[in-house]
Amino acid sequence: MALGAGWLAFPRVIYRSRPQPVNFSHKVHADKAGVKCEDCHAFRDDGTFAGAPSLDKCAGCHAAPMGTTAAEKNFIDEYVTPNREPQWSAYARQPENVSFSHSAHVKRAKMACETCHGNTGATDSLRPFQVDRISGYTRDIWRVPNTPHGMKMADCVACHHQKGLEHSCLDCHK
Amino acid sequence: MMNTRREVLMFAGGSAVGVLFTPAPWRLITDTALWSENWPGIPAPARGEIRARYTNCSLCAAGCAVRARCVGDQPVQLTGVTSHPLSHGALCPFGLAGHHLPYLPSRVKQGSAKEAAAAVAEAIAKCGPAEHVVTLDLRPARTASWTYRRAMAAVRNGRYVATSGDADIAVDLSQARTVLSFGVPVLDGWGTPGNVNAARSGFRLIQIEAVESRTASMADQWLRIRPGSEDALAQALAGQTTLSAAADATGLTVPEIAGLMTLLEQNGPVLVLGSSRLASGGRTVIARREAPVPAEWQKAAPVTALASLPDRSVRVLLIDESAPDGYVPWNIIEKKLVADSAVVVALAWSREGYARHANFVLPVGVYPEVADDIPPALDSVAATFRLASPLVAAPVGIVKPEQFVATAAGLSIADTLRERADAIHKSARGTLLTYADAKSQALKEVTADAFWKALNAGGCWIDAADEKAPVAKLTVATAEAAPNEQSDLPLAVVLSRELAPGSPILSKVYQESNLRLAPNRVALHPSCGIEDGSPADFATLLGKCRVAVTLDAAVPPGVVQVSTSPAVLDLCAAGARAKVVRV
Repeated sequence: MALGAGWLAFPRVIYRSRPQPVNFSHKVHADKAGVKCEDCHAFRDDGTFAGAPSLDKCAGCHAAPMGTTAAEKNFIDEYVTPNREPQWSAYARQPENVSFSHSAHVKRAKMACETCHGNTGATDSLRPFQVDRISGYTRDIWRVPNTPHGMKMADCVACHHQKGLEHSCLDCHK
Repeated sequence: MMNTRREVLMFAGGSAVGVLFTPAPWRLITDTALWSENWPGIPAPARGEIRARYTNCSLCAAGCAVRARCVGDQPVQLTGVTSHPLSHGALCPFGLAGHHLPYLPSRVKQGSAKEAAAAVAEAIAKCGPAEHVVTLDLRPARTASWTYRRAMAAVRNGRYVATSGDADIAVDLSQARTVLSFGVPVLDGWGTPGNVNAARSGFRLIQIEAVESRTASMADQWLRIRPGSEDALAQALAGQTTLSAAADATGLTVPEIAGLMTLLEQNGPVLVLGSSRLASGGRTVIARREAPVPAEWQKAAPVTALASLPDRSVRVLLIDESAPDGYVPWNIIEKKLVADSAVVVALAWSREGYARHANFVLPVGVYPEVADDIPPALDSVAATFRLASPLVAAPVGIVKPEQFVATAAGLSIADTLRERADAIHKSARGTLLTYADAKSQALKEVTADAFWKALNAGGCWIDAADEKAPVAKLTVATAEAAPNEQSDLPLAVVLSRELAPGSPILSKVYQESNLRLAPNRVALHPSCGIEDGSPADFATLLGKCRVAVTLDAAVPPGVVQVSTSPAVLDLCAAGARAKVVRV
């Protein structure tokens, strides 16, 4: 009974779950529209990573409904028409005490997005965003879906160690 | 079915052991540790788009150009703008941390403007024929200063009083080969830091000072004199007294003074700072025309010296302390107030200044919350017009000083900064420098709207070259009068340079490292017999206050160096003597 509670019930209780504002399909955008990761998750001119795209980017194509799905109608009615930014929850957001540079990893080290984000780019819907009730860390920090690793400090250190890179404290904890 | 105690205990023990083989307890330990990293109060970095915004620093009249690195709407780093012809990309330590100022712990956050306005209106109505309504401006030559002057012209017996004048006089450091400074902190806060640094290699700096200040330690020559003997030395250099008399007064030797005279003769032009007795040479001090103002503003009240107001004649005193460049000790002001029911309104963001004495204290915005223009810097040879554009939103409930004063005087004002910008644009003089692209263009090539937009986005108007007439002399700091000997007040008071309003975080670092005297500290020579850090009473003829003692070998015996915080300045007249008694 204790083993069951610890292995099965605890993981469900420890995470608070909330849906994403829009049922977004990475797969549809990648397959049908031929969109690549960096087309929406772009770098700014100064090299910083912009994260989730703003509504302006979406409205560039979705000024009017593209298709007849309920998700599309909901997106237009709830966000595009009233010009309201969707409040996306970032699965991979590092805690506040970490300074992570996408630019250094993607542009300089030429790492693929999938290395840390798994197959998110090929998914047909957005899974619920789950955050640890006590620590406030997202579930992906502990374990990136469909990968053998998470995005904990030990994972970063292991990767740097494997590639023979520096991994001092101040690299990430500014 | 009844469970025995043994069975319950076995169940509990088994569960406890079983749980250890699940991730739950280990994860709870980890989560608790992680939770402790995110307790409330731990600073969290701002999130958002990273961009650069430009403004001008209004912490002091230097008004250095500022590039603010912002995350979202939050400025997180301030740096200088290298293309600026005067500030040259430099910022002082306070300027670098200027975006912390809104979080100053001692900030005034509330005050009833309605009650203050009603009291002022009532007092103005009661104002007798020999009584005055006065606006005291601690940073004159701004656009707001013109509003005060217009407001005081609209009120019967209104007077506009400024703490410092000479906005039409400038120093041209590039023309000086020698700078003779009587206690002026030339390298430590005087003028525009970038401009002083840029010109430093072109002049020889001779510092006349009793205390080994930072400027003294970095000067080409430091002449330590007795406190209060600056004027005696100036008299000798002007040929108004003998060298031996000056040597007796200052503690210098006759050959030292004679050598100084020779050096000044051979290394002109000489810029003299801090002495009203000596004239500067060449074109080191020049007349500077003011930035244009709308023609209808010219009917404003003139600048009145506080000393010219009769004692007990001020019924209403409105003090704009939003940009405190100068501080008039309260004992001087208090003498001017009518004995019965004078109304004093301090428009201030700090409780440390006149807020301690005012009937009403109204909160005002601080840099970089509110738009204000900055008067031309003392070492700017051309007139300038630049705005401290807001980088962060001001808190709810703050009062705009010029609006309050104008309303009290029944003067209707609109957007005065825009009106001033339009008047400058109409003159078609000078150039507009925009910081983002380091572009300089003639003002006549820019539309009025584009000019206004550029000023708000980080820009500076610089007046065209003018035929500047040399001015005889410049006094930026008054040499202290000779101390009066009093046996019960054995210490000569020397003021450290005024502490600019700055970041609460930086101030802590600065003051705790003794780079600056904290507002409640005095510095004494280690031989004074008081331990470092001890609490003490600092007393002058005007009163006493509690201070902490810092021991500093740079302060000579017989001298007490005090921070120029308002509480201490209230006790220190020129040439004051004091005693410090450990409590």
